[in-house]
Amino acid sequence: MALLTQQQALSLERKFDIIVIVAAFTGTVAGYHIHQMLTVGDWDFWLDWKDRRWWVTLTPILLITFPAATQYFMWEKMRLPIGATFCVMTLHFGQWMNRVFNFYYWAWFPATFTAPGLMIPSAIFLDVTLMMTGSYMFTALFGGMGWSLLFYPSNWTWLAPFHLAYKHPSGPLMSIADLMGMEYVRSATPEYIRIVERGTLRTFGRDVTPVSSFFAGFISGIIYLWWVWMGKVISKPVWLSRT
Amino acid sequence: MAQYRTEAAPAKRAESAEQMFGWGTFFKCQIAISLFYICIRIYQQYFSWSKGLDFFSEDFRVYWWNMLIGELIIEGSTLIFVLGYIWKTRDRNLDRITPEEELRRFWGLGQWIVTFAWAVYWGASFFTEQDGTWHQTVIRDTDFTPSHIIEFYLSYPIYIIIGISAYMWARTRIPLFSKAHSLPFILTVGGPAMIFVNVALNEWGHTFWIMEELFVAPLHWGFVTLGWCLFGVYGVAAAMCPRIVELIKITSGGKATA
Repeated sequence: MALLTQQQALSLERKFDIIVIVAAFTGTVAGYHIHQMLTVGDWDFWLDWKDRRWWVTLTPILLITFPAATQYFMWEKMRLPIGATFCVMTLHFGQWMNRVFNFYYWAWFPATFTAPGLMIPSAIFLDVTLMMTGSYMFTALFGGMGWSLLFYPSNWTWLAPFHLAYKHPSGPLMSIADLMGMEYVRSATPEYIRIVERGTLRTFGRDVTPVSSFFAGFISGIIYLWWVWMGKVISKPVWLSRT
Repeated sequence: MAQYRTEAAPAKRAESAEQMFGWGTFFKCQIAISLFYICIRIYQQYFSWSKGLDFFSEDFRVYWWNMLIGELIIEGSTLIFVLGYIWKTRDRNLDRITPEEELRRFWGLGQWIVTFAWAVYWGASFFTEQDGTWHQTVIRDTDFTPSHIIEFYLSYPIYIIIGISAYMWARTRIPLFSKAHSLPFILTVGGPAMIFVNVALNEWGHTFWIMEELFVAPLHWGFVTLGWCLFGVYGVAAAMCPRIVELIKITSGGKATA
């Protein structure tokens, strides 16, 4: 006599689906977030580090990693074109939990000062490219470029007010973001960085931003292919010693 | 001799499928971990800034150093006890396991993995970035700050205990994992475990090279590469799912649609 009725069998399949989804979500938050905070972290922690050169260059290049690997798994095993968006949502969950409960409620950094960069439009573009082309090569070429180029415009609206120029009473002309970085003491930020960056108005975007974004898109494509391969290798059920 | 009784499996058929594959353990584990860490976080809120800034003070000893010693002793004891229990009660008749019992154990392994993943979230995501807020506010002074005592020496060992236990549980109870070592499973458990080991390099490096706390400094990249191993959780799913689908088909008399 069978243990499960058809209804129970279907229900059990859904239960296992939930287990896989929850494990994948929380596991990816942990892995992706630690990757993010220790490779892009400082540029994404602080408002005044979200500049038109390094932030728009580093962030897309370093964050296309897990989405590429997840895309491979979800596309190959489940035909789901949501790998990148799923991954980015896990990252945003981890970041916002921290920005609210730790940066703000623990160390009292203003929430606007530590808001993380938004990656969702980039991730949707990457997923749609894979879905439409069905090709990792095309996704690397066009998706990777779009992933990077969309990054800065996606964040423009909330960053714009902090780009306004401000004349500090002591002399230098700086953006509001720079002013916040200057005035809000971050004890462990290396002194040479704070001095060198003072008053450069670097948070103003103009010609440097698209150049940096295009360069990031080029590198993102390469990193994408590398991480698709990583996803293939790591998610393969390999057995070490069969007895 | 204590051992996991495969022979008892037929008696469990009397249980309904809802009882065999219930959510009770799932919610108990997630809620227990969450409540524990919420309490820890509240403790930090109260005592990290007021009692935790001076490593050499009596307050620090009372509120933080004693906690560190206590948690290390409890964690070591727990690891030995849990692994000992899992080994002692292992199933020595895995060849005779019924499909129903095997399916039930996969359900159990699912609870283990979800609990592990949730614990890693707290350690590698929540408390790790929290450490960034500490170092950006308080200049690096000692390896044993209120932030490190929770991050490195509490949350990391907890997920390591759960992860290693999950691996050993699967190894001793599920035929699929008993016959060979699953590389993705080893990576999933081993990578985050090595993050804890990498703490030694990190602290040594900060002591001798880099006193400031630039999060993207190359000194931290060891954590990053070890964090990549968590992607192995997809490989574990890829290994488990085909067998689970097969078992559901068998136990439902071929009525499942998957």
